[in-house]
Amino acid sequence: MLCLSCPFAKLSMALTQVSSNKCAGGYQKVYEHESVELQCKMKFAVYLPPKAETDKCPVFYWLSGLTCTEQNFITKAGAQQAAADNGIIIVAPDTSPRGCGIEGEDESWDFGTGAGFYVDATEEPWKNNYRMYSYVTEELPKLINSNFAADPDRMSISGHSMGGHGALVCTLRNPGRYKTVSAFAPICNPIGCPWGQKAFAGYLGADKSTWEAYDATVLAASYDGPKLDILIDQGGDDQFLSSSQLLPDHLIAACSAKKIPVVFRRQPGYDHSYFFIYSFMSDHIKHHAKYLNA
Amino acid sequence: MLVCKVKVKETHCRVTDLLPNAQYELWVMATNTTGISPASEKALYMTVPSPPAIKERGCSSCPEAALIRWDSGNNNPVDSYTVEITEMDTHGAQCGAAEAIVAVPSCQCLIQLQQDRRYMVTVRAVNIGGPSEKSHPLGVSTTGTLFHLLEDTAHPCLSISEDGFTMFYGDEELPLKLTSMCYRCVAVLGDLLPVRGQHYWEVAVDDYTEFRVGVAYEDTNRNAYLGATNTSWCMRHILTPTRHKYEFLHDGWSPDLRITVNPMRIGVALDYDGGTLSFYNVELEQHLYTFHCCFQSYVHPCFALDNPGGLTVHNGVEAPGYTRN
Repeated sequence: MLCLSCPFAKLSMALTQVSSNKCAGGYQKVYEHESVELQCKMKFAVYLPPKAETDKCPVFYWLSGLTCTEQNFITKAGAQQAAADNGIIIVAPDTSPRGCGIEGEDESWDFGTGAGFYVDATEEPWKNNYRMYSYVTEELPKLINSNFAADPDRMSISGHSMGGHGALVCTLRNPGRYKTVSAFAPICNPIGCPWGQKAFAGYLGADKSTWEAYDATVLAASYDGPKLDILIDQGGDDQFLSSSQLLPDHLIAACSAKKIPVVFRRQPGYDHSYFFIYSFMSDHIKHHAKYLNA
Repeated sequence: MLVCKVKVKETHCRVTDLLPNAQYELWVMATNTTGISPASEKALYMTVPSPPAIKERGCSSCPEAALIRWDSGNNNPVDSYTVEITEMDTHGAQCGAAEAIVAVPSCQCLIQLQQDRRYMVTVRAVNIGGPSEKSHPLGVSTTGTLFHLLEDTAHPCLSISEDGFTMFYGDEELPLKLTSMCYRCVAVLGDLLPVRGQHYWEVAVDDYTEFRVGVAYEDTNRNAYLGATNTSWCMRHILTPTRHKYEFLHDGWSPDLRITVNPMRIGVALDYDGGTLSFYNVELEQHLYTFHCCFQSYVHPCFALDNPGGLTVHNGVEAPGYTRN
């Protein structure tokens, strides 16, 4: 099924529409394509606001966390109304390559399938497929810009947990590329937490110096790019915060020292779930809109 | 009552050096060698008042109005005042006709104006004798919101600069007697216009000053710290041994926030209609926090210092784009 009604959609055989639902005056769509970076079929979700029917819109990239697919965000986060109100396209990719048949890929919920960690793996047997960093920063934006009414010069990025880590790393490694960044309960210092150590050891190997290029706290300490304005929300009752997987204090310390502007909000009573994300999503969209629509 | 006599040979006389705003009775008597005639009928004459003096420190403005305050300029009461407003163009020349507001009963007047214009305001005092000369003019700009710190509301430990925009909490000890009489909160209020709509001002602070800046109802308890009750809202800066801490206080409660770059210039945006009070780091154009409130009545900007130091209010500037919805 191809999107024939949208004037900007090219008849590209590489992109197949999986679903389309009218939502908040616009359309929540899911597409499938053959990914060059990941060497497999990948799905991603795109929300097109009403404004996309007539104008090019800025794009908000959302990176989901461990175990998620492209479905969690579009069904649970409640972002579509705010995106429609602000004329923003939202793109939400999957969290890892799927169905590659790699031995061990489905063994853990925090490594392999659903746990790509937004890195380009260098170790076997992951290095051919597990290239989520390049997928998110290179392949996906090119696909979006040539198939949708997207303004290639106005994009921003956000995410939750592992996706928050991804959003921060993509921003810090590509100064000036994203108009702004925000995160929900991000993994701030993967080198220092069990999740990150397991993932990086598997994808990047034993040499820890290679891990630093994917650690927001390390990257912040040497950031030298345009001024940022980072918004982070963290649930106070988040079990992963108390089990030292997230380590926001490390990122705050690095950003304070480097004078990288961050507003970090600890929200009492909120956990790590999409109920938490839903509660503050409109604040984040508003934050992004300020920069995307400037 | 003072009686003066002037001898004249003509049938007319010019009386000078009269006091302003004073009632005089004048009568004539004729004199010849045999004596003085009875007095003529008395003529009553009221001299016009002296012109008032506009109190620049007492005036404030916002995009759609201005509050003008003046000293009467007369020891005795006058009947009323007339306020005259003229719009000025960007070169300072008059454009359009002057408008007058007559029969103003007291020494202040709230005038409705249009946004982003410049005006010249003068005041005359009026009695039954007529209007006085014009006062010295006051220039009013309706770009942004302008107010001064109200010296009358300042804690004794605070000194306010002459222009009314800087406050300073000195190190000197107050005499013990005075300390026990003082309100606990070392604060001062700003004279914000009681006009709905949106207002914006900035506060320049430094890294070492523990301050509270925000708004409060006029009758807020001066013994309570700013932000400790439900009649005030503020941003607070605390210096701890290890770091800078920021709180956004209302009714004693603050969200748990960390800010990595200490604001040196804070933008405060008050929106009566939207029911919000927002704070920004002006240099970074960074939003810090927004209170969602339901203001029951007009509020005053409030500035407090928790330890010796100073801060300066910058206003009369247009709210930057990033502060508007």
